[in-house]
Amino acid sequence: MTGTEFMTLRENEDVKIIDVKADLSSYAASDLRKVLENLLNEKVEKVVVNFSEVNHINSTAVGTLVGIAKRLRQNNGDLKLCNLASTLTRTFNLIGASSVVEIYESEKSAIEAFQ
Amino acid sequence: MEKDYIELKVPSDVYYIESVRAFIGKLSETLRFSKRRVADIQLAIDEICSNAVYHGSACISSHILLHIYVNTKTLKIVVSDKGKSETRDWLTPAKLEEIQDRRSPAGESGHGLYLIKCLTDEHKLKENSVGGTDVIAIFYRKEPTDAD
Repeated sequence: MTGTEFMTLRENEDVKIIDVKADLSSYAASDLRKVLENLLNEKVEKVVVNFSEVNHINSTAVGTLVGIAKRLRQNNGDLKLCNLASTLTRTFNLIGASSVVEIYESEKSAIEAFQ
Repeated sequence: MEKDYIELKVPSDVYYIESVRAFIGKLSETLRFSKRRVADIQLAIDEICSNAVYHGSACISSHILLHIYVNTKTLKIVVSDKGKSETRDWLTPAKLEEIQDRRSPAGESGHGLYLIKCLTDEHKLKENSVGGTDVIAIFYRKEPTDAD
C-alpha cells in the first residue's frame, strides 16, 4: 500500500503517516476511507493523518476519521490528526468530533503522543 | 428584491462537488464575504450537494440544480434534487430533520444538516414539484470585521 491519487503514505518506526494532498470533499473522502481501511486490514495500530496541505474537510471525511479511530482503538491502536488549518478545526469543533479524535499542532507531537 | 441570478446544472456525482465548491468560493470572495465566511459557505454547499447526490438522485444521469440569487443584502443558494422515492434512503426534508435530531458527535454520519444549520444565516428544506428536495441556504452580506 503506497497511497492513492490524493494521499501518500510513509512511516516513522511503527507509526504510519498519511499525507493528505487534496481538500476533502466527498470524492477525495472515499480515497481517505480506502487508505485507512487498507491500514486496518494490514493490522496497523498507530496512524497519524497530516493535514498540512488541506484547506477544506466535509462531514463525510470527518465521519470516516471518527469511525476509523474507534476501530483502531478496539485493536489497542489509535488515529491522531495534525497540522489542521483553523477552518478544519472549526469543522471538527462544530460537529463535536474534536472530543472523539485527538488533534495535534504538529506531526512530531502527534507521533510523540503514541509513546 | 433579487438582482442577479446564476444557474448551475451539475451531474449527480460527487466528482463534481469540488468544482461547485470552487465556484461558490470564488463567487463569495467576489461578493466580499470574509475569508471565514467564504469557508463556511463552501462547506454548507458541499454538505447540501453531497446529500443531494447520495440521497436525492436516482443515478448519475440525473443532475442537481443550483439556483443562485444575489442582491445587496444576501446570497441565496437553492439546491434542488429530483429525489429517488423508489429507494429507502431518499432523504425527504422530514427524514433529514429526524437524522439531525438523532445526531451524535461520535457518529460517523448524520452531521450534514447540522452543519448546514450552523453555517447558514437562514435555511429551509421543502419538497419540490418533481418529488425531490429543495434546500435553501441564505447568507447575509456584511462588511468583514476584525473578528473575521
